[in-house]
Amino acid sequence: MNEISAMGSDRAVPVAAGEKAGRRIKYIKATFLDIFLAFYSILVVQRAIYDRFILDLRDLPFSWTETGAIFILSCVIGAWWTYTRTSLSCRLFGIAKNNNVAEWTVEIFGWFLFDITFIAGWITTKISIVSLFSGEGVQGAARLFGALFTPQFGILNDALFAMIETIYIALIATLLSIPPALILSFFTARNLMKENKFTYAIYYILRIILNFVRSIEALIWAIIFSVWVGIGPFAGMLALLVHTIASNARLYSEAIESIDQGPVEAISATGANRIQIVWHAIVPQIVLPFLSYTIYWWDINVRMATIIGLVGGGGIGNLLMQYQGLARWREVGLIVIMIAFVVWVMDYVSGRIREAIY
Amino acid sequence: MLLTVRDLHKTYKSGTHALKGVSLDVKEGEFLVVIGLSGSGKSTLLRCINRLVEPTSGTISFLNQDIAHLKGDQLRKAKRQIGMVFQQFNLVKRRSVLANVINGRLGSLRTLESIFRSYSDGVLADANKCLETVGITDYANVRADTLSGGQQQRVAIARSLMQNPRLLLADEPVASLDPATSNSVMQYFEKINKELGTTVICSLHFLSLVRRYASRAIALKAGEIVYEGSPDDIDQTWFKRIYGEEAEEVEIV
Ligand SMILES: Nc1ncnc2c1ncn2[C@@H]1O[C@H](COP(=O)(O)OP(=O)(O)OP(=O)(O)O)[C@@H](O)[C@H]1O
Ligand SMILES: [Mg+2]
Repeated sequence: MNEISAMGSDRAVPVAAGEKAGRRIKYIKATFLDIFLAFYSILVVQRAIYDRFILDLRDLPFSWTETGAIFILSCVIGAWWTYTRTSLSCRLFGIAKNNNVAEWTVEIFGWFLFDITFIAGWITTKISIVSLFSGEGVQGAARLFGALFTPQFGILNDALFAMIETIYIALIATLLSIPPALILSFFTARNLMKENKFTYAIYYILRIILNFVRSIEALIWAIIFSVWVGIGPFAGMLALLVHTIASNARLYSEAIESIDQGPVEAISATGANRIQIVWHAIVPQIVLPFLSYTIYWWDINVRMATIIGLVGGGGIGNLLMQYQGLARWREVGLIVIMIAFVVWVMDYVSGRIREAIY
Repeated sequence: MLLTVRDLHKTYKSGTHALKGVSLDVKEGEFLVVIGLSGSGKSTLLRCINRLVEPTSGTISFLNQDIAHLKGDQLRKAKRQIGMVFQQFNLVKRRSVLANVINGRLGSLRTLESIFRSYSDGVLADANKCLETVGITDYANVRADTLSGGQQQRVAIARSLMQNPRLLLADEPVASLDPATSNSVMQYFEKINKELGTTVICSLHFLSLVRRYASRAIALKAGEIVYEGSPDDIDQTWFKRIYGEEAEEVEIV
């Protein structure tokens, strides 16, 4: 009898300890979230709604002491709120009390958060129904649309050349991205790198770098490169290249991670070395996904190349910028139609190719 | 003795103690079958023998070399002499049958040679011979995944034959095949065992197959060997001891 109960408690302890630790972590997370929500609410109400809208201040005054005071206040409110187990965060993390107070808090505070966010967004965006429907504005827009729909074919030659430039920029960026993305993808595939600590460290660092590079839009890269190598197609190509390498390495490595491990095991069991395993068990499984992703990125890059042209990356975007600056809307119309057509064709063609591959 | 396993333990990272001191001797030319319930450690044992799984402790002596403690090139050399056939065939689906068979030889080819697929005539002739052994010559150039399950498993057997293995491991090779196909695939193992003299260690689920093909059987239960001997001596009492009281034998033809 004694023995049995001892065994029972033995088994019960680790489970309870694990659960307790889990609850504590949830409690800490909930506290942080509550503090953040309180801070956010007070700040939004005070600055966006009171200062900007009610007092209609142009330049919002900023003082560290005031913000600090608000932060301390929200720490107190947040901590207390979590402590009572009635807050929104407690509900989110599943540690709220099951009573009326908790229920009402969640409902009222939830709606309050949504409302102030919406109102603050409205005020910040300076939404104005009046200017949307003002007579003068509508007339201007009508004139512009009219011009867009009666494109000026006089610049057809120039536009065509610029468009071809854009397509080539995208193509070269995509092609040049393949080798580096390929190499990087093998080093950022979890299933290949998790085996020992050293390779896992490489995997981790590369992942962080790639995530960082990818989080910077190609447009920003274009600005950086147009300073570096000068405005023009080369800067645009480099911008697309960097962005495509980072994005494609990610897609490629995901393809590697989702391969069938069976052939890898079978071939490593024959005594093949690592290079042979990669070449004969992994590569045959990933060529088609790789090809498909690459075509997809060419398609995306054509669109991006037009946008990048707007900030000095060459091609059709550049031309669009010039005519827009001169307010020659009929020329702009031609360019817009041409872009839309090419994007549509690319989309269709790349879709069909990718369908055929699979 | 071809293979001597002593006090083999395997504890997975998850904490599962899958093998608890397994000791085993396998003579040249034997057809040893491993039986046991799901989770009893059959796959773990077979995979420790060719180091697809790292043993936690113990020794695995194969041709007087301790496989459990080999590294790098020496480990690969040892692996070359041990073929393996899997339940899921594990062929490279998009490649041809012939390419899959040649994959079995990779361990003995130089890296560059294998990357450019510039195989010598000898290798190609061997591959065709292995395909002949399992009766698949007609399909040498079709994609592996267009074959039926039984045919794919035969290709996998041909791949392991490309290694000229001294020992052939088979982990539930017929578990995803229908009964008739199972029997025909098992007959190829028998043929390899009898005609080429290759030692076979195979895990199986159906006792009727065990009785028909095994020269010796061992039974695992929760990571320990609970039976060792002739497959014909596994009577009702033993059966219940291995598979539990509720189990009942099902026949497969
Ligand atoms: N990679 C792994 N990680 C953690 N535990 C594992 C792993 N592989 C197997 N196990 C565990 O080890 C034990 C033995 O598994 P094993 O696959 O060797 O059994 P088996 O006899 O082959 O079963 P089956 O007939 O289902 O194939 C099981 O409890 C299983 O859950
Ligand atoms: Mg198994």
